[in-house]
Amino acid sequence: MADTYDAIVVGGGHNGLTCAAYLARAGRKVLVLERRPILGGATVSEQIYPGFTFSSCSYVVSLLRPRIIRDLELSKHGLEILPLDWTLSPFEDGESLLRGPDPEMNRRNIARFSPRDAERYPRFGQAMGELSRLIKPIIEMPTPEPSKLDLGTILSVLRLARRFRGLDEDAIAAQLKMLTMSAVDFLGEWFESDRVIAPMSVSGIIGTFLGVRSPGTAYVLLHHYMGEIDGAFRAWGLQKGGTGQVALAIARSARAHGAEIRTDSPVASILMQGDEARGVVLENGDELRARVVISAADPRRTFLGLVGEERLEEGFAKQIKRFKLRGSSGKVNLALDSLPEFGGYPADSPVLRGGDITIAPSVDYLERAYDDAKYGRFSRRPCMDCVIPSLTDPSVAPPGKHVMSVFVQYAPYHLKEGPADWENQREAFGDAVIDTLEQFAPGLKNRILHRHVLTPWDLEQTYGLTEGNIFHGELSLEQLAFMRPAAGWARYRTPIRKLWFCGSGAHPGGGIMATPGQLCAETLLRSRTV
Amino acid sequence: MKDAIIIGAGHNGLVAGLQLAKAGRSVTILERAGDVGGLCAASTLHPGYRVPGLLHDCSGVRHDVAHALGLARFGLVFEPQPTPVLAAHSQHRGALLHADARASHAELEALQRGDGDAYVAWRGFLTRIQGFVARVMNQPPPAIRPRSLAEAWGLARTVLGLRRLGKADMLELMRVAPMSAADWLEESFADPLLAAALAAPAVTGAFLGPRGAGTAANVLLYECARGPEVRGGPAALCEALRSAFEAAGGRIQLEAEVSEILVERGAVAGVRLAQGSTLDAPLVVATCDPRRALLELLGPGLLPLSVEEQVDCVRMRGTTAKVNLALDGRLVFRDRDGERHARAVVADHVDDIERAFDAAKYRRCSEQPHLDVSVPSVADASLAPEGKDVVSILAHFAPHDREGGWDEAARAAFGASVVDALERVAPGTKDRIVASEVLSPADIERRYGVSGGHIGHGEHALDQLLFMRPTRALAQYATPIRGLYLGGSGSHPGGGVTCRPGHLAAQAILGS
Repeated sequence: MADTYDAIVVGGGHNGLTCAAYLARAGRKVLVLERRPILGGATVSEQIYPGFTFSSCSYVVSLLRPRIIRDLELSKHGLEILPLDWTLSPFEDGESLLRGPDPEMNRRNIARFSPRDAERYPRFGQAMGELSRLIKPIIEMPTPEPSKLDLGTILSVLRLARRFRGLDEDAIAAQLKMLTMSAVDFLGEWFESDRVIAPMSVSGIIGTFLGVRSPGTAYVLLHHYMGEIDGAFRAWGLQKGGTGQVALAIARSARAHGAEIRTDSPVASILMQGDEARGVVLENGDELRARVVISAADPRRTFLGLVGEERLEEGFAKQIKRFKLRGSSGKVNLALDSLPEFGGYPADSPVLRGGDITIAPSVDYLERAYDDAKYGRFSRRPCMDCVIPSLTDPSVAPPGKHVMSVFVQYAPYHLKEGPADWENQREAFGDAVIDTLEQFAPGLKNRILHRHVLTPWDLEQTYGLTEGNIFHGELSLEQLAFMRPAAGWARYRTPIRKLWFCGSGAHPGGGIMATPGQLCAETLLRSRTV
Repeated sequence: MKDAIIIGAGHNGLVAGLQLAKAGRSVTILERAGDVGGLCAASTLHPGYRVPGLLHDCSGVRHDVAHALGLARFGLVFEPQPTPVLAAHSQHRGALLHADARASHAELEALQRGDGDAYVAWRGFLTRIQGFVARVMNQPPPAIRPRSLAEAWGLARTVLGLRRLGKADMLELMRVAPMSAADWLEESFADPLLAAALAAPAVTGAFLGPRGAGTAANVLLYECARGPEVRGGPAALCEALRSAFEAAGGRIQLEAEVSEILVERGAVAGVRLAQGSTLDAPLVVATCDPRRALLELLGPGLLPLSVEEQVDCVRMRGTTAKVNLALDGRLVFRDRDGERHARAVVADHVDDIERAFDAAKYRRCSEQPHLDVSVPSVADASLAPEGKDVVSILAHFAPHDREGGWDEAARAAFGASVVDALERVAPGTKDRIVASEVLSPADIERRYGVSGGHIGHGEHALDQLLFMRPTRALAQYATPIRGLYLGGSGSHPGGGVTCRPGHLAAQAILGS
């Protein structure tokens, strides 16, 4: 039977769609298969309750690479990012810290807690900006493979070395420290006030199974300073109409280049012939053939689920089995009748409109939240990041009403009672979130029309994220670069011939970057396999 | 006028002094205490009972150092085999972990099927990488940006050495090093006791629990450096070093506390003692911790601001307390009547160690501390009356910055939790105690003069090792002050009794 397609992409999230779009743009005949009735994977917006559009999982956009936006003409296809400029961090005693684009305001606000920190704050921003400029080329190219000394590796190492040549040792040492320090220790070298350190440290733990005192979290802080929207250095933004519109824009671009995209088409397994992938078998039994198959699912689901352990070489199977995917976060989406004050700021304040609200009142508070998770409980008093998209984008809620997205950490997939016990603990988890929020936004509870609680168990069951890990695998040092998802297989090929891999479980990892999808497509095209 | 002054007669000070003396320099070591040894100095706990110093593990001293210093002539003897470590358990007899994994195979298989094999495989990996890791730790730290051909060659050799491990071991080493000890060990072993026991070195000298990322590196470094103990322990080591140093013409001045390092025109000129007198020397090696040496003993404004800021950022939060016990009888572990064990670690599960650490984050002491137990009277019967034991315990976690401070009541309360923890794995111990002493990190700071009461002169964390120890600018032992060197545990390769920092500092001085 002749191959119907050049490539079949399994999974219609942002990476699968990006990979398909790049292949289609290069003239290849591509089919994307999505299990759910809607596209986007975890980059999705849904009307769980009529009239209210929730960006159920991913809720902010920052890392989407500018080159991808240009290559795929995403602005033409509906990408429109509204910047988030402010971060409000309320404390338990009613005080709060507001940071934003106005340096003078930042200085004033921080000086209330420490004049020394206020003076250092702009220098810190500059230093982080410089560091992130160095890291960026690393996440924009396929990773070097130290175990293979081929021309590609030598060239990429030389390219990197050139970047580092002009640097003094202090800058190199600073890089290494970033990679290995904890967010709190790193920030502690700059700042003295707990009220400055705690809110700033939060971006170091998002999506990780680590606490703010755990080494390795300093590096994640950098991502906050790496965000780019339209090439401008800006941290975070909201997609107009909901995060799902990002995936839909990529899908429109892919379709415009001729890609075929099917929803409601769950793939049961990879169709194998000998040791070669020849296509996929759908859950309804249909077989679809292609010259290559590309999986955008996470590594565990791809290799142990779709391929099957019996087809894997033992060493590789072992690596995939021990690849850590422990989900640590949950999401509570709220439909609100009206808005309460937040940390002393009225609902119509521009602060809330253009920003996020971080519940991280102290380092000890964050560590206690983490301690709960370490021993298999959700945080009784969790760390949270809230945005109210309806303030910037009224299209996502009925007139006068609001949606609020609450990202919650920690919610460990592995509860002490086992992950399935989330079915029993889901509402208690939701209550812990609301009760904690009520303290910082009195009156919130009475304004809730609907509450949609997503636990890591739900992220797995509904969105197919194994163990509810939003990054398809922890972003810990030993799971980055040439180790992602397995040593020797970090450049989008897999041990199964004609099976490629383009999800967030590949270098450079998770977040709405779309780089794994792009780099996989480019590597595949260069290999002349299709 | 001396050629060189060494601040501190701990093992590193003695090693540095000895090496300089052997090279013909006229050397004086200044020690604030009444005896040599520093953290290794033994003391009498109770009539008839001698306890080792703060540190009781000499397994990191390797033959090549002892040989280079000619210590055999001064009575230094190594035990024939590394000391096995008892993984003690609160409910059963635990397991005895030998460095030669085959000797533990049957016992571990009985504990949990498959763990005997797993332990053999785990040790096998360590044995294969040991040569490489030891070489990296025994040399001056690699320069990130080589300035000379020799430095470039050193760096290239390190990279080649890594590649020579072969693809599988190289990748495994790179994968494991940044991991948490708990993740690595739980992935390797089915029985929680094994993971708990082998995780002990992960938290020694670190402000981290075994679930902290990068703690696997501490386990790797400890295990790769580990060999047979020095007979007689740290005190015997220091005694041999002292004799060798004096035989080489060196002079030791006891009860001579240095209050200031004197500098003239950017070069070191000598030191001032607390009594007020000054000693001149063009070379000073400070083996005290870097914070004390550079921020307290050195006058303000002498170091470049950036160096001073870096030193100020060196993390050295002490979390170790020392508990010494004199027993009226033997220390007998649960279901191990009649057996003698010189080393034991006490934790049933890595989560027990992690919970013990959690308290330190909130400036509290662990309710159920994690114990690293040494029974020196097993190897050296002269340390206690016949038929009796003396016990030395390094207990974690007792934070230096304990909320409410360290008063007598706090010390007694922590001592009681340590004894309770020991009682759980060695029932009946409590009733045999005839004398005890508890040293909190605050006591350690006072008695030994180490900042933060940190026994390793700086936390063992990935960002404070190799060319970042103690800071990048100071990693090659020299300081911006001409003639002033660092040579203590705050320098590469770090804390514990290895004698390497002093050895490498002396090499750096003699080579320049």
